[in-house]
Amino acid sequence: MRVLVVEDEPDVLRAVTMFLREEGYYVDSADNGEDGLYKGITWDYDAILLDVMLPKRDGWSVLTELRRQKKDTPVLMLTARDAVKDRVRGLDTGADDYLVKPFELTELVARVRALIRRSAGHAGPLIEIGNVSIDTASRTVTVDQQVVPLTAKEYCLLEFLAIHRGELVTRTKIYDHLFDECDSSLSNLVDVYVSNIRRKVGRDLITTRRGMGYIIEG
Amino acid sequence: MFKSLRWRLQVWHAFVLLIVLTSFGAIVYDLQWKTRLQQIDAELNRITNSMLQRRPPGRSGNRRPRGRDEIRPGGESGTRSDQVTPAQPELANNDAASSRTIAPPDGFRPPGDRPPRMTPEKIVEEFEKLTHSDDDSQFFFMVIWDEKGEVHSSDTAPKIDNPQLKTESDGSPKRVIRERHGDQLYRELIFARKYDSGVRNYLIGQSLQNELAEHHQRGLLLIATGLVILAAGTLGGGWLSARAIRPITDMTAAAESISAQNLSQRINVKETDSELGNLANVLNKTFDRLQDAFERQQQFTADASHELRTPLSVIATHTELALSRSRTNEDYRAAIETCQRAAKRMKTLIDALLILARFESGAPSMKQDRLNLEPLVLDCVELVRPLATERGIEIESQTTACEVCGDWDRLSQVVTNLLSNAIRYNVDGGQVIVATRIDKESAVISVTDTGIGIAPDQLPHIFDRFYQVDKARSRAEGSCGLGLSICKTIVEAHGGTIAAISQPSVGTTIEVRLARASSTMPAERRHSGEENLVSSVSVS
Repeated sequence: MRVLVVEDEPDVLRAVTMFLREEGYYVDSADNGEDGLYKGITWDYDAILLDVMLPKRDGWSVLTELRRQKKDTPVLMLTARDAVKDRVRGLDTGADDYLVKPFELTELVARVRALIRRSAGHAGPLIEIGNVSIDTASRTVTVDQQVVPLTAKEYCLLEFLAIHRGELVTRTKIYDHLFDECDSSLSNLVDVYVSNIRRKVGRDLITTRRGMGYIIEG
Repeated sequence: MFKSLRWRLQVWHAFVLLIVLTSFGAIVYDLQWKTRLQQIDAELNRITNSMLQRRPPGRSGNRRPRGRDEIRPGGESGTRSDQVTPAQPELANNDAASSRTIAPPDGFRPPGDRPPRMTPEKIVEEFEKLTHSDDDSQFFFMVIWDEKGEVHSSDTAPKIDNPQLKTESDGSPKRVIRERHGDQLYRELIFARKYDSGVRNYLIGQSLQNELAEHHQRGLLLIATGLVILAAGTLGGGWLSARAIRPITDMTAAAESISAQNLSQRINVKETDSELGNLANVLNKTFDRLQDAFERQQQFTADASHELRTPLSVIATHTELALSRSRTNEDYRAAIETCQRAAKRMKTLIDALLILARFESGAPSMKQDRLNLEPLVLDCVELVRPLATERGIEIESQTTACEVCGDWDRLSQVVTNLLSNAIRYNVDGGQVIVATRIDKESAVISVTDTGIGIAPDQLPHIFDRFYQVDKARSRAEGSCGLGLSICKTIVEAHGGTIAAISQPSVGTTIEVRLARASSTMPAERRHSGEENLVSSVSVS
């Protein structure tokens, strides 16, 4: 899962970025509104964490511009203002959720998970495909009630494919969402992860479409 | 309700109206009765006069057909008009004689005059004729006494004791009109006549019973009219007071509906010329100021909480991050250092807020000492010199002695702040010029830097609270955006002004203008409270 954090307070930005990375997200960051908007438009993020008070361009303006450009990436507003008026404004402008500073990182991550899940059309934390069940809250995968040990990367890939169940997920998209900017999309990392998942969870779960990508049939 | 202005107005109005109506009614009532008595007295006198001036039957015969009305002009004038009638010269003589005898309205006969020709019997006869011609309800009666007692009385006459006749100072009897309470109220005219057979007292009277009844009726009518007027007046007064009070009620309702959530509402001012319109305008202006102050306060609170939340979230996130899993010592150390920075920032912010809050609460404990700005500025320069040296910035002082009244610590804080800003936003190896000079009645401190300058569109805001020209840079410097705002507050509390001139990438000059201490100015002018403020707080 790829997340953009736009926050001008460097200490907060650092903490949020590190925590999200440790939770298995691939995090890009921006410390002002202009950069944030540029990245938000250019890349396809699973979620954007957006501070309201930003230099160069404030959070409202970034959000408005994103929505104007038909980017429907889920946006979680982060702000130190907790007036109801501000929260209503945020949600009305097109924000999906709202978190008031100071916040707890675990809550932030839970909200990000929920946002990503909801935007893919899953209300609950549990995704079940045949005998495979993926719990996005505890980040565990079970096959026939047996917990399958997966690495963070493997889990993320499986979850990503499961969330987009029924649609073709291209290799490019996988690289965009699950790998850092420095990882090359030409590498065969994805193939390695997919074969690992197949070995641990089951052969038939992920179908390969030659030259295009992967799909979990719905 | 009874304490309401309207109610009181109404009560007072009714009360005043009642008093006016009562006194007016009483006067009318009294005057009416007096007028009526005068009329009765005139009637009694007229009857008496007519009676006494009657001619003997032979002569007066030609007059008999005359009605009472024709006699009314009065005995004397009547006879006088006769007098001038040439056809009756004899009559004139007669009349002259009779008038000499009995004509004076007072009716006394001068002593030694010859006795009148009218006998008591004639008088009674005349009286009967005169009063019988009256067919109305005025009952006249007549009583005659001689020394021995009553000799004649009319049928209608009440029982009357022998009246003691009053006499003039010369002893002659006089005509007396009196009011007597017998079984009824009577008005009586008494006069005396001297005959050869002795003195006769004559009493002509009228019962006032009917008059009194009539008068009482008129009184009742007056009371009834008065009550109607009082009721109408009170109702009208009530309507008027309601009308007068309505704008006040409206204003009260409007003022009541104004609350913290609804500060933008105003009283509807319809008549701006009236006193209430003026009041409404004044109130509206007050509400404007209130709203302005309230909004500024809200903005300030929001900004302050925002500024406090940021370091707080740094602490919260970094502690959580550090504790979320086991880390290396370096990681823990970094987290703690971050938290320490955030805590310092919070302290700076809270100190600054405290200063502003103290000024805001209107009780700044500031001394008003006479002090020289030159050593003050030089002290501050020494204080910030290490900061300047660090960045290779040269501080040049161009000071002259100038005296102002103020608080040394507070003014030092202002100068230190300005100097720190001048160093902080300067280029490495730049220059800061601090100067004091006298300009007419003002003492001026100016701090000029060769720094990055401020854009014209940002210049008007630099004294606003929490305004930061370059947020990232300010944060890096540990600034909270309140320094210049505090400077402004302190300078204004001293009655001075602070202004900035700036040119981007050339530099900024901040000028503080304070009133010079005059030789007669007392050392303690105002704000001579206890000194208990944090004086060493340095904020920027």
